[in-house]
Amino acid sequence: MIAYLIATLTLVAITALTGLALNLQWGMGGLVNFGLFGFYMLGAYICGLLTVQGVPPLISLVGAMFGVALLSALISLISVRLSEDYLAIVTLGFAECLRLFISYEEWLTRGTLGIAGIERPFHGLMPAHLADTVFLAFTLMAVALIYGALQALAISPFGRLVRATREDPAVVEALGKSVLLVRFKVFAVGGAILGLAGSLHAFYYTYIDPTQFSPIITAYAFMAVVIGGRGSNRGVLISAFTLILALEGSRFLVDWVPHLGSSELAAIRLILVGGGLVLLLIIKPNGFGKEPRSAEAEIGSSTST
Amino acid sequence: MLQLLLNGVVTGLLLSLPALALSLSFSVLRFANYAIGSYLTCGAYLVYLFNVLFGWPLWIAASIGALGLAALVVAVDWLAYRPLRNRSGVTLLVASMGVAIALENLVRLFAGNSPRSFDVAVARPLRFGGLRLNYEQLTILTTVLAALAVVWIIFRLTRLGRAMRAVADNPDLAAVRGISRGQVVASVWIISGVLTAIAGVLVGLDANIEPQMGWNYLLPVFTAAILGGIASPMAAVAGALTIGIAEELATLVMPPHYRMIVAFLIIATLLLVRPWGLFGTRWVTR
Repeated sequence: MIAYLIATLTLVAITALTGLALNLQWGMGGLVNFGLFGFYMLGAYICGLLTVQGVPPLISLVGAMFGVALLSALISLISVRLSEDYLAIVTLGFAECLRLFISYEEWLTRGTLGIAGIERPFHGLMPAHLADTVFLAFTLMAVALIYGALQALAISPFGRLVRATREDPAVVEALGKSVLLVRFKVFAVGGAILGLAGSLHAFYYTYIDPTQFSPIITAYAFMAVVIGGRGSNRGVLISAFTLILALEGSRFLVDWVPHLGSSELAAIRLILVGGGLVLLLIIKPNGFGKEPRSAEAEIGSSTST
Repeated sequence: MLQLLLNGVVTGLLLSLPALALSLSFSVLRFANYAIGSYLTCGAYLVYLFNVLFGWPLWIAASIGALGLAALVVAVDWLAYRPLRNRSGVTLLVASMGVAIALENLVRLFAGNSPRSFDVAVARPLRFGGLRLNYEQLTILTTVLAALAVVWIIFRLTRLGRAMRAVADNPDLAAVRGISRGQVVASVWIISGVLTAIAGVLVGLDANIEPQMGWNYLLPVFTAAILGGIASPMAAVAGALTIGIAEELATLVMPPHYRMIVAFLIIATLLLVRPWGLFGTRWVTR
């Protein structure tokens, strides 16, 4: 039971990280990243490949963060100056192509066989039965760190600028700031967080293969942001640790409800995620959280959503 | 080489129906419907239901299935998109992703994950000189051309078509002139649904019916629509043919499982160089 709880909490913490990254890109910046799972996957693979080559785990993690940040920023350049529809399809296309590439380029990624034996950070420094607990603590620490950094970013002048590009890029341009540069940076920072999340995924499972990464990861992140309230980091954390925990915990139902296989349950869970996403956008477009420093703005423009 | 071109044309025609549907709904509603892949999957499964489980001939099953999908698409519009219509495009985009996930998993819930195929007789490929044409390819060729002709007639020669073009061009002006937006939107979804269901059947004939089938077509379909200039429906057909031929010709230099990468390279280059599409006119993006 305790082991199960630790496992679920670790996964939820990793999902919270993807939610925080998406909250920066979409929540604050208005940039729809449907290819989120691709960047996450890239992080996992960079980190996994470096670690099995003998690079110390923490260094691989930093490498993955830089790698994903760079690539995600470059991908964003393709369409970041166009409307959001294009960015969505470009990121999604990138993610799907990356998945194909990883599945077929066996010389590099071992294809569908996957990479096994990825060593966790601090491996060997503590007794084996504590490994999962220590890793959970490490993951939670990463979440806290990223949360703190994003909160600081949100109330900084740069955070204000990011929100301004979401609301009205034309005004930002007119004030002499480069929208392109802001979005480029947002994608880089978001990419670094996704790289971190992916690396933690690789460490946690110690084995990765292409089937672990699917658009479902993107859907969970969107769910966390929509419930948490776009722009609110705290809301995203709370929603990740409640709703996603409930969704993950629902795996237990297999033991209780007869005639319900795990694949049916997975399908039902995703129907709820997809339907819930639409329902929330309709009835609670601003989510349950609140964007920092938006109080003044709300008085002025409470009519516009 | 000629064989590759022929295959490319067939692949392109296969893409052209969903690309046309996507671009039609974009031109009237101004949002990119990411659920189009799931619509295609649902269409194929509906037809499979009538064809294999009820044992009806494929063309009857396909007709009923197409109407069924049209009803489903209209229902989704009522439930999900209509309440969001006055929100920003981003909101609709994310909602359509939610719809896509929900529909795909409905299919998984009822039909399972294993691939299936329609109940049709296997036939020998036809030969013209050195060219080989599968029976499925012939079906695709004729069906798509017929469907495109019907859409073209509706678009150019009927009142409904004129109303659709008017709303696409300028919704406010169209409303002032007494064109009911609701009716136009409903007919756009019905046409999209029928076209996508036909595409679903054809994809199912060409390959297998499986829950992922529509998702795999999402990128090439979007690429085709954007290539044509996303708001001009008939140009999407030309876009689709371009993608189809490019994908087939690319098999000369890269393995066939990398087709999607071809589509991605095309879309990336296009957006960097000519974001308003090969055939579209330049219109303001933000």
